[in-house]
Amino acid sequence: MNAQQTSLRMEGISKAFAGIAALRGASLEARGGEATAVMGANGAGKSTLMNILGGVVASDRGRIVLDGAETVIRSPRQAAQQGVAFVHQELTMLPTLTVAENIFIDSLPSSGPFIRTREMARQSEALLARLGCSIPPETRVEQLSIGDQQLIEIARALRHKAKVIIFDEPTSSLTGPERQRLFNVIRGLKTDGVVIIYITHFLDEIFSICERVTVMRNGETVWSSPISEVDPAKVVHLMLGVAENEGRIRAPIEAVGEPLIAVTGLRRDGVLRDVDFEIRSGEIVGLWGLLGSGRTELLRALVGLDPIDGGTISWRDGRTLAPIAPERLHAHVGMITEDRRGEGVHLPLSISDNIALPNLKSLLNKWRLIDRGRQNALADAMIDRLKIKASGREQIVATLSGGNQQKVVFGKWLATSPRLFLLDEPTRGLDISAKTEIMRLVVELAEQGCSVLLVSSELQELMRVCDRYLIISRGRLIDELPGSAGASALMGSIAMIDNDLEVAS
Amino acid sequence: MAVTQIAPAPLFAWPSRQRVVSAVLMIATLVAIGVYAPNFFRYHNIINVLLQVSLLGLLAIGMTVVMIVGGIDLSLPANTAMGAVLGALYMKATGDWAVGALIMIAAGLLIGLVNGFAVARLKMIPFVVTLATMTVVSGASVWVTNSLSISQLPDTFIDFFDARPLLGVPVTVLVVAVLAGLVAMLMRSSVAGRWAYAVGINDRAARVARIPIGRVILASYVFSGLMAGLTAILLTARLGSASANMGNDGVVLDIVSACVVGGVSIYGGSGRVPGALFGALLITILSNAMNLIGVSYYLSLIVKGAVIIAFVAIDGRKETKR
Repeated sequence: MNAQQTSLRMEGISKAFAGIAALRGASLEARGGEATAVMGANGAGKSTLMNILGGVVASDRGRIVLDGAETVIRSPRQAAQQGVAFVHQELTMLPTLTVAENIFIDSLPSSGPFIRTREMARQSEALLARLGCSIPPETRVEQLSIGDQQLIEIARALRHKAKVIIFDEPTSSLTGPERQRLFNVIRGLKTDGVVIIYITHFLDEIFSICERVTVMRNGETVWSSPISEVDPAKVVHLMLGVAENEGRIRAPIEAVGEPLIAVTGLRRDGVLRDVDFEIRSGEIVGLWGLLGSGRTELLRALVGLDPIDGGTISWRDGRTLAPIAPERLHAHVGMITEDRRGEGVHLPLSISDNIALPNLKSLLNKWRLIDRGRQNALADAMIDRLKIKASGREQIVATLSGGNQQKVVFGKWLATSPRLFLLDEPTRGLDISAKTEIMRLVVELAEQGCSVLLVSSELQELMRVCDRYLIISRGRLIDELPGSAGASALMGSIAMIDNDLEVAS
Repeated sequence: MAVTQIAPAPLFAWPSRQRVVSAVLMIATLVAIGVYAPNFFRYHNIINVLLQVSLLGLLAIGMTVVMIVGGIDLSLPANTAMGAVLGALYMKATGDWAVGALIMIAAGLLIGLVNGFAVARLKMIPFVVTLATMTVVSGASVWVTNSLSISQLPDTFIDFFDARPLLGVPVTVLVVAVLAGLVAMLMRSSVAGRWAYAVGINDRAARVARIPIGRVILASYVFSGLMAGLTAILLTARLGSASANMGNDGVVLDIVSACVVGGVSIYGGSGRVPGALFGALLITILSNAMNLIGVSYYLSLIVKGAVIIAFVAIDGRKETKR
């Protein structure tokens, strides 16, 4: 096959969801025999662009040119017919069926009512051999590792004679050797002339496997070039854009005194390792890393929402710093997870009931029952303090705007007077003014002596409030920077290529 | 992405579909009875209906709490029969009805604890767990009794619950009424009650909000076991005997019907004790009406099954569940 024959061009692609633009004239160019990395921060539009290519969503405008001919892709099935295959991050296998059945699931070879099992197995073996793997076709998929399942998914794509294969974060749950094997498979596909589109949050990977890079930001394609024309720092700059200087809400302070919390050797196999850090009272610490770096996992592990495999968390209780179990630490911490609607609030309940939930034991009357009057007073106080825009405390949280829902989440925790807040993307999906309000609130908490560990995908947001930065990559804290650090230093810190490709394990 | 919308509090809220339909069903049933079997409204029959409603209602209260937390307890009637049989055997042997009654409660609590442990700690599916305990417990009751009814219980025991201290209403009905009021209040205003709803609505959010979800789930099954034990006492007193077939399959159907008709969602997180009692009343009257009008038992099963399906179909909660 002529390696330069296949080519893919997406031009002027626009897409809006409910009136909000997700893509604004985005473009993508990729060639057969090459892997093209598509990079972008959260919400940059890369998933939407790939979903359009894969037929999952329809574009509002724009065209797709495959092999020089304009192509219409309206459904995943049509995408498959046109030779576009998608290897998803979440694998789409049927675990109780065999390898061969999974490869052939959409058109099982049959004669009359019977499936030609032997024929199917033979063909599966041949496809898998092309990928350099020798899994018996009659193995049930549930018995395979994630890495092997991914190969099955690629074999499925090969069976459709895919000209374009999209890999969506294929290495996020692979071990080191599995990743090397995947890279070899991708190299093999490249020599066969397949167009590879590679989406990842791991910068180092694109430099070892991709020939071209396209960077997206705010629904637009902001860069497209051979990989040799960029370096990791450049890619991070392109992804995050020029940090618009919104101005600091508070100048960085140098926290003094003893630590409030000290973590040593925290480990969660395959996710986190060797995590050591301390936070002092009144300090806002930014946990800075790309998606998939382990930042969310670290926050969850600290309070026992995810299990840990080792390490010590020490907590200041009175004068001494004593080890504490994550589940116990939860009782002292205000936890705001990134999934506001799924974990932050109870959507069908009222503002009042939501705010009361972690505070019930402080609202009891002499009969040990919840005192409605005290609950209402608490809710009103929080609505007033956080300026929650609602018709009243009885409004159902599901009907509030995102910013006001987030304020309800803060309200729940504020009333418990936590000494530490763990905030995971507290402003996700909020508009500019709501974001600023939330950030002001974070500073206000710190002024009152609360400590904050803050995760955000938006660097400019961290730079408005943080007193210190912990840099996380592949589940390890790789650096620490002072609050005065500039944008380029922070971007540079996560662009450092980790020569040690091993994920924490 | 954020859409600012401030919905004004509605001045008048339409009653839910489930309430409208159940009210219509109740009125239609009463009208049909009035036309075809006016004898129904005689004092003696009304007391009889109230007794039936109380016992079904007690089990429905247990089921309601489990369903609010997001589970289901199919073992309730079997659990009742087991407790009744064990307690009755003890009473017959010793004549000590108070200890016998305690045995009934202890048996209920123990079986509830087994269910709760399996669901909360071993993360097993409630439907399967309680179906299995139902089978085990039913089998054990038949085995213990040799399928014979245990009668000739102490008269003091039977007389105690059959007494009518207030306006001719039996003690059994009063006990259930007081208990229902207490549980309704606890579900609304106690920490445990709020936790139960929070876990049923969204266990992930409940966990982040520091709610010990395992303990809440465990407690819900222990509570339903307690209701089964209490039912064992009252039912044994009313019948004057205990037997393994007290907990036949039709009772499970009636309990689930009472709950779904009374607005308790099988998807968890919503429902009230008074609703479940109304459901128990409706199901009991519906059964009685069909009986009085001369509908065969088998046809009445068809009607009750259809009622469950109809009410699950109009359950508003399933639309809000993720």
